[in-house]
Amino acid sequence: MTVASAYVGIVDYQAGNVHSIASAFDHLGARTSAIRDERDIDSFSHILLPGVGAFGYCAAQLARTGLAPALRQAVEAGKPLLGICVGMQLLADWGEELGGSEGLGWIGGAVRAMAPDPPKVRIPHVGWNEVTFTEPFGSFSLGERADFYFDHSFSYQEPGQGAVVGTCDHGPQFAAIVRRGALVGAQFHPEKSQATGLRFLKSFLDMAAC
Amino acid sequence: MLKKRIIPKLLIKHRTLGRTVRPVLVTTRGYGEVREVGDAVSQAKIYEAQFADELIVLNIDRSPIAGDEVMLSLIERLATETFMPLVVGGGVRAVEDFGLLLGRGADKVSINQMAFQEPELIKAAASRYGAQCIVVSIDYRVNANGAPEVFVDQASRPTGVDVVTFAKRVHAYGAGEILLTNADRDGSGEGMDILVLREVVNAVPIPVIASGGCGLAAHFTEGFIEGGAEGVAAGTFFCFRDQNPMQARAHVLTAGVPIREVR
Repeated sequence: MTVASAYVGIVDYQAGNVHSIASAFDHLGARTSAIRDERDIDSFSHILLPGVGAFGYCAAQLARTGLAPALRQAVEAGKPLLGICVGMQLLADWGEELGGSEGLGWIGGAVRAMAPDPPKVRIPHVGWNEVTFTEPFGSFSLGERADFYFDHSFSYQEPGQGAVVGTCDHGPQFAAIVRRGALVGAQFHPEKSQATGLRFLKSFLDMAAC
Repeated sequence: MLKKRIIPKLLIKHRTLGRTVRPVLVTTRGYGEVREVGDAVSQAKIYEAQFADELIVLNIDRSPIAGDEVMLSLIERLATETFMPLVVGGGVRAVEDFGLLLGRGADKVSINQMAFQEPELIKAAASRYGAQCIVVSIDYRVNANGAPEVFVDQASRPTGVDVVTFAKRVHAYGAGEILLTNADRDGSGEGMDILVLREVVNAVPIPVIASGGCGLAAHFTEGFIEGGAEGVAAGTFFCFRDQNPMQARAHVLTAGVPIREVR
């Protein structure tokens, strides 16, 4: 698939920085539109699940749209979906933020609070940190290291076997990128990570629907 | 390893030109003496090309952000034309204002006076949007007793509260980051107040961005190594003379401070 023919559906559930993500795809030459109805899903080549806010809040907002079953069906049929930040965390079974809530459970694992260990390890984990690719992804090769922008206090732990594509250290190591087939999640913000981030989004767009 | 951040600060004022109101980029000295320096979006694009790690955009007109289309459009343009993290502040009064700014492309929202007047707002915003997007901006001046005292209202009004006590309080309410500014040193170029910075950094487990006083590239290095700041922000330093984030990066990197790798 060429980037110019990509049409990215952004799940608009009032819990994400839709504007910045759309701008990044626009810059790459892909078209974007908000997904408001499950009947729209077929018309998109790629799906983007953003997420800013508390895990439970985002999970409840997403549930309110009623889009999850149709999104899952599309992903199982091979349509690439990228979750960013809390959009990635929602792929887990469970998140402990604010008393605990169920996630989508599409990749497994749990999202837990990161432990501060000052002076070095401060939480929230804010800023540019190095991701090591433990699997190749698009134009990123196995073992490659690249800096991305993070902004979070909870991290993805114990995703299903073989689901980790990239790791990051801030105190204990955590999953920075997870993947299962056409389903990809990134803890960092590629739309805010300048040239490296755009390269990551381009790699996602290069995943053609099977 | 998490990298330290070099952060240009864009101060914005509204200026009426005929019938239109436009946002202009300014610098200040001691929070007074305003100088206009140009257009915020073109300046932001230059900073991005020079590998700035983040941008802080503050409306210093004391006007509420809700309904301020001049400021909101500026944020939207910054988020459309650059791909870097944005901290936005100035005139944030209610929880809804956080949502408004995040929706227009901000990544983090900064509050100053409201954190002092109504700290419950920190808690409310953190439980809705997460602590990671709540930045509390703390301005202080060294008072007659030689103690660092929190000042509000563009650092014009003393509060009688010690800066370390206040930093601990905003952390307890759920702030995710502190932007600490010595208002006496604002725009002075005489160097950062390392002593107070170090005290605040030691008092809280959240990241601290230090600001006020950068006049040399070496001052960034001091802020990181001696002050323990996660980020150092500067306005005037980058706006005048031939200083840019790349030169600051080179100095910081040579001193052995971990910063973002750029290729």
